[in-house]
Amino acid sequence: MRAATPTLMAGTRTSRYRSMTWLWRAVALVFAIVMVFPVYWMVNSAFEPNSQITSLTPSFFPVHLTLHNFVRAVDHTAGTTVVQAYFWDDARNSLIVVTSAVLVTLIFAFLAAAAISRFRLRGASAFLVLILVVQMVPGTAMVIPIFLFLNNLHLTDNYLGLILVYAASTLPFTIWALRGFVRGVPIELEEAAMVDGASRFGAFWRILFPLVLPGLISTGIFAFITSWNDFLMANILMQQNYHQTLPVWLFSFTTNTGTDYGGLMAGCTIMALPVVIFFLLVQRRLVSGLTAGAVKG
Amino acid sequence: MATPTASGLAPAPTELAILPTAASRRRSPPHAWRRSWRRQLLPLLLLLPALGLIGLMTGYPLGRLVATSFQNLGPIQLIGHKVVWNGLANYRTLFTSSNLGTSVLQTVVFVLACVGLTMALGTGVALLLRRVGSLLRVVVSVCMLLAWSMPTSAAAIVWTWLFESEWGVVNYMLTATGLHFANHNWFGSAISAYSIITANIVWGAIPFVALTMYSALTLVPRDLFEAAAVDGASPATTFRQVTLPIVRPIFVLLTVLSIIWDANVFNQVWYLTQGNAQLLNVIPLGVWQYIQAFSSQQYGLGAAVAVIMILLLLAVTGYYIRIMVRTGEVQRGAKA
Repeated sequence: MRAATPTLMAGTRTSRYRSMTWLWRAVALVFAIVMVFPVYWMVNSAFEPNSQITSLTPSFFPVHLTLHNFVRAVDHTAGTTVVQAYFWDDARNSLIVVTSAVLVTLIFAFLAAAAISRFRLRGASAFLVLILVVQMVPGTAMVIPIFLFLNNLHLTDNYLGLILVYAASTLPFTIWALRGFVRGVPIELEEAAMVDGASRFGAFWRILFPLVLPGLISTGIFAFITSWNDFLMANILMQQNYHQTLPVWLFSFTTNTGTDYGGLMAGCTIMALPVVIFFLLVQRRLVSGLTAGAVKG
Repeated sequence: MATPTASGLAPAPTELAILPTAASRRRSPPHAWRRSWRRQLLPLLLLLPALGLIGLMTGYPLGRLVATSFQNLGPIQLIGHKVVWNGLANYRTLFTSSNLGTSVLQTVVFVLACVGLTMALGTGVALLLRRVGSLLRVVVSVCMLLAWSMPTSAAAIVWTWLFESEWGVVNYMLTATGLHFANHNWFGSAISAYSIITANIVWGAIPFVALTMYSALTLVPRDLFEAAAVDGASPATTFRQVTLPIVRPIFVLLTVLSIIWDANVFNQVWYLTQGNAQLLNVIPLGVWQYIQAFSSQQYGLGAAVAVIMILLLLAVTGYYIRIMVRTGEVQRGAKA
């Protein structure tokens, strides 16, 4: 690069560049395999018969496909342990609690985001700082007081308790993200509707809401994933087997007699499936939103 | 329907009194107080549900946590609904035992290892993604997305299966390459168990960091690289002088977020040790307070550990929040 003749330099550079490119390609490929392998291995094991799972030479491709692991995971009559009996209860609990929590979060967050970005509200900055601070409070540290609080109110082993916990824990991020979406809708559209006779809420409902709907969906999915994955709170607050959620259910495959890895991998696959699908739908929005905000800031 | 610009430029004052327009902001003394009060009422009402929920489920429990840390709260007091204040006894117990110091140190080392590896590898992958063709980039991105989307609980369980001593595929592959790893127990020693927990956390965290850094890198204008190349800058110099200043804000943000997340991990530790975190010898604060409260049923002591953990994190988060406030992110959001 320094004081060499351009042509000579260019020749050596391209050949070196080319071999480096091959090196980078190899590194990228190895990295991709390392990243995806655990996911692949989960699915591979989930479809393998038990004889294959407990063999000393694992097969890297599912040769003898079987659904037996899935049957054992969800159907207690085929199960080897009693605790696995609760798949359908726990799946229903997960769905009810998480969906309700997401709805509560979205409604509250939409109202709050509208209040912050559509009105000249005194103390709005203070509220946003509060949101940031709340978001930083470590969730693990909150298990003890929330358990004591809900225990006093007799809200343990109760949907409402867990719904409130999940709604509150996802609310700060949801407000923060939705605020950005509301900001992106020109206020003039609502003003125009109001000039044409719409009420303040009519303008929110007919103009703002449909325009931020994509934002509501993607932030809602993030709230869903966060709550769906929670083990800590559900494990403490829902003490009866039939009140628990799927992450807690996953823990039930290990007993004194050992672990049913086939069933466990099938269970993991079932639990991960909705998350993977939802996640692939919205992740692009998260990354672009975050970089836009941070680099501008 | 009126065009947005027309209505935005000249709103009718009577109909749009609550909108933050120039007309409504002008103060007319007789009704000023009542009008400003009315203007504040509606947004406050809209804010109230969110504020209420945060106050109820975060504010109050936070206060209660601090209060509990000054109480002797065991199973007897819990069932009898008794409040027994014991002053600083919990903190005294913690500070006189050798566990606290080692646990704090362990947490710091653990978090630094996780964050350092995540940021270094994540940034490396982001740079790598710029050097490979678009097909390979898509392949790597999809693999990362699959890893990223795995729930931490399921991922940790899959890792216990990968590293299982008898039938685990990792031992099989290592043995196949001629190493003596048959029946090797990865969770037999604390160091080894911690390494796997760290690897699991880093594996799960790289995709977010790598993809975010990659999309931050695409914001660096290409002519800057060309200019640097014309000026004869080496790749390292180009990275230091051109790339780094532009992506620094996002790098700092990702580092702070990673510190908070990794200090807060529970699932990975809990699932990978199969609920028997004691085998780690020294347990990170977040897991320790949980065991103290729910396994030993000493809620007061557990609360004191949690308070110490929050105070430690406050140093990091305070810095982050100061940056956010100083760069005007908060104010800009409020004005909108």
